[in-house]
Amino acid sequence: MAILEIKDLSFTYPKQGISALSGVSFEIEKGDFALLCGATGSGKSTLMRLLKREIRPLGELKGEVRFEGKSIDELSERDSAFRVGFVTQKPEQQTVTDKVWHELAFGLENLGLRSDEIRRRVAEMACFFGIEGWFDKKVSELSGGQKQLLNLASVMVMQPDVLLLDEPTAQLDPIAASEFIATVVKLNRELSLTVLMIEHRLEEALPVCDKLIFLKDGALYAFGEMRSCVKSIMRDSEFLNYLPAAVRIFAAVEHGSACPVTVNEGRKYIEAGFDDSIKSLPERETPAHGSTALEFKDVWFRYERNSGDVLRGLSFTLWEGEILCVLGGNGSGKSTMLACAAGLHKPYSGRINVFGKRIKDYKNQMLYKNCLALMPQDVQTVFLRNSVREELEDCDISALPFDLAPYYDMHPYDLSGGQQQLLALAKVLSCKPRLLMLDEPTKGLDANTKAEFAAIIRKLKAAGVTILCVTHDVEFASQLADRAAMFFLGEITSCDETRRFFAANSFYTTSVSRMTRGRYENAVTVEDAVALLKLNGVRK
Amino acid sequence: MKALDSFNPLAVFVYFMASAGIAMFSMDPVILLLSMLGAVTLFVIRREGRQTGTHLFSLFLFLTLTVINPLFQHNGRTVLFVLNDNPITLEALLYGADAAAMVVSVLYWFRSFSSIITSDKLLYLFGLLSPKPALMISMALRFVPLFRMQAKRTDMAQRALGKYKEDNAIDFIRMKLSVFSIMVSWALENGIITADSMAARGYGTGRRTCFSPYKFRPQDALLLGLSLMLAGAVGAAMALGGLEFAFYPTVSKISPDFLRLAAYIAYALLSFLPATIEIGDALKWQYLRSRI
Repeated sequence: MAILEIKDLSFTYPKQGISALSGVSFEIEKGDFALLCGATGSGKSTLMRLLKREIRPLGELKGEVRFEGKSIDELSERDSAFRVGFVTQKPEQQTVTDKVWHELAFGLENLGLRSDEIRRRVAEMACFFGIEGWFDKKVSELSGGQKQLLNLASVMVMQPDVLLLDEPTAQLDPIAASEFIATVVKLNRELSLTVLMIEHRLEEALPVCDKLIFLKDGALYAFGEMRSCVKSIMRDSEFLNYLPAAVRIFAAVEHGSACPVTVNEGRKYIEAGFDDSIKSLPERETPAHGSTALEFKDVWFRYERNSGDVLRGLSFTLWEGEILCVLGGNGSGKSTMLACAAGLHKPYSGRINVFGKRIKDYKNQMLYKNCLALMPQDVQTVFLRNSVREELEDCDISALPFDLAPYYDMHPYDLSGGQQQLLALAKVLSCKPRLLMLDEPTKGLDANTKAEFAAIIRKLKAAGVTILCVTHDVEFASQLADRAAMFFLGEITSCDETRRFFAANSFYTTSVSRMTRGRYENAVTVEDAVALLKLNGVRK
Repeated sequence: MKALDSFNPLAVFVYFMASAGIAMFSMDPVILLLSMLGAVTLFVIRREGRQTGTHLFSLFLFLTLTVINPLFQHNGRTVLFVLNDNPITLEALLYGADAAAMVVSVLYWFRSFSSIITSDKLLYLFGLLSPKPALMISMALRFVPLFRMQAKRTDMAQRALGKYKEDNAIDFIRMKLSVFSIMVSWALENGIITADSMAARGYGTGRRTCFSPYKFRPQDALLLGLSLMLAGAVGAAMALGGLEFAFYPTVSKISPDFLRLAAYIAYALLSFLPATIEIGDALKWQYLRSRI
């Protein structure tokens, strides 16, 4: 029997003409792992919030949601609260209390359980999630990934039957994100928990899911078993970007019948189906270096006298007019490097030159005028006003490569992640920087928005702006960068032309590179792989 | 981890209220001497904080308080000497010493108290009284660092946008105010997410219980029972007038009647109870280790 039945569900927010959802129907079986996908604004989050009564938005609702055959309006308050668990994308904001143990106990306290019962369940969950080590810690001391695992654990202690996850990994780095997804998969496989997850990182989540649901403009676009659903939407250019690299290669070369989904399947598909007489694509020409835009010379930095060094003899050069992407793990000091370059922190040793001049020689804020600009990781920190119009008041936005006019009357916080990114970029660009520094610009963006963002950055480069981008996102870096660098323990350990860089890495690299390693030499992006496969041709 | 840290906070709390409370309401020098000895012994055994510095400070405080009283208080029959036409009396000096012993011993009690009852234990004790404010405090403790962090990040982002002008105080204040005003919006916005998260986890669906990670074990019952019994005995003796003591006009003599002796014995036991627990625990470990 279906555990969740959504029947002809329509929803309109108050004072809005267009409905956010129209006539959506599907069923989820007990124990299913279902992924809910769609572009920003397609109604994913609205749909998910309608499945849980406590967080249902206000508005006009038609149709019905049934949980185990019963309308969710008929469920008792307790059943509704405790049998359906919900985790959203902001790790910090959804924790309630200050201590890890208290956060785990919070839901059970609401359930009115006695202390010894709570103790048992909390202990059980802490073991399952491997969080005994930080059980006594304060929530504020945890990393983003740990916080999100804690949020999941504190929902799981209530032993829900269905878990609703609204982009749970959007704010996490790739390693924390895979860990989170792996934990959800474990819950699904071992406890046969029904999972409905909104997720942009399909490369990892898609191969493990049972069902796919695609929404488009508030309507159900595709729904079904994962592989058949992938096949049916593969032909749609709007959704192709969301799918894993293996699928995109399959869609482009149009060969064979079984569509590969994982890296492993992709490798087998390529090895079985295509020749390998041509090993590599012609090398890209490295453009001659111009003058330097940014130069770090043996820079050492630490936050406090007694703390460890965050930057340890960092040296590198950024040439004018290039895009350099710096990759590296969490807490390796990448953001600190940007803050130092922007003059926000002062290193205790070493030298930083911006356009050939030392930072301290820029007097009276000249560093921020027609010189450099930093777009921070949390773009909300850029906003100070209550509407987009006010926000852009003293900004010259005539030369922007994108349009924000449709959002002028909205509050910056009400924009979607991608729109916030663009608004922040507009504000940052109003300083007319010649050097633009981006800190994790793709965090929480869906595949299409990411591609649009990359296109905007390329336009800026064409306009002569030098770009330094710190990111976790290898796929994004592989498409955008002229050069890529690996940041490790406070210094840059390797730096090379993008294709050579990723072809030389074996773990920290794109899925296409992992798929073609050994067989071809420098295929890094889907486009590279498709070009190579077409050159080689189908195996006779 | 010392032995007392593993006791239930409620038992520990009651103990300290009893031992320090009696010291605060009694003027009897023997009681205060016992209180001082018990408190210092406990502090020394637990090796909390800076030992020498604390003892030196306490000695200084004790001497100062002792000397100050006779300078202002001239009651008492036994004049030691005359200073600026004012008699300095033995009684006033002894009264000063008595009061100083009270202050210093209570300070020692609270030093040990604050090292055992950490902030979350205190919150737990508060939660026993009323669970809702305790939850609110816990939420506030989560929110404050989050707010400060975000304010700092916002400030840095604005600096990198060149929004702060150098040497212009008015501009600086205006920027700080804008940052503060957006932080208020941010707090409200994020409050909604927290409220959703609370509702999604069933907050307000029924009677809440208050979970504590602290169990109540036999040792806690023993500590609680002994504290109440011994403090009750001393209290009863005080109520019956058995511990009356006067410094003026002359220092009263301590008569060895039953009530007084019983109160002394009870308070001595109470005063050295935690030190006994700590020493017993240490000896147990030594014994266990010697058998390996």
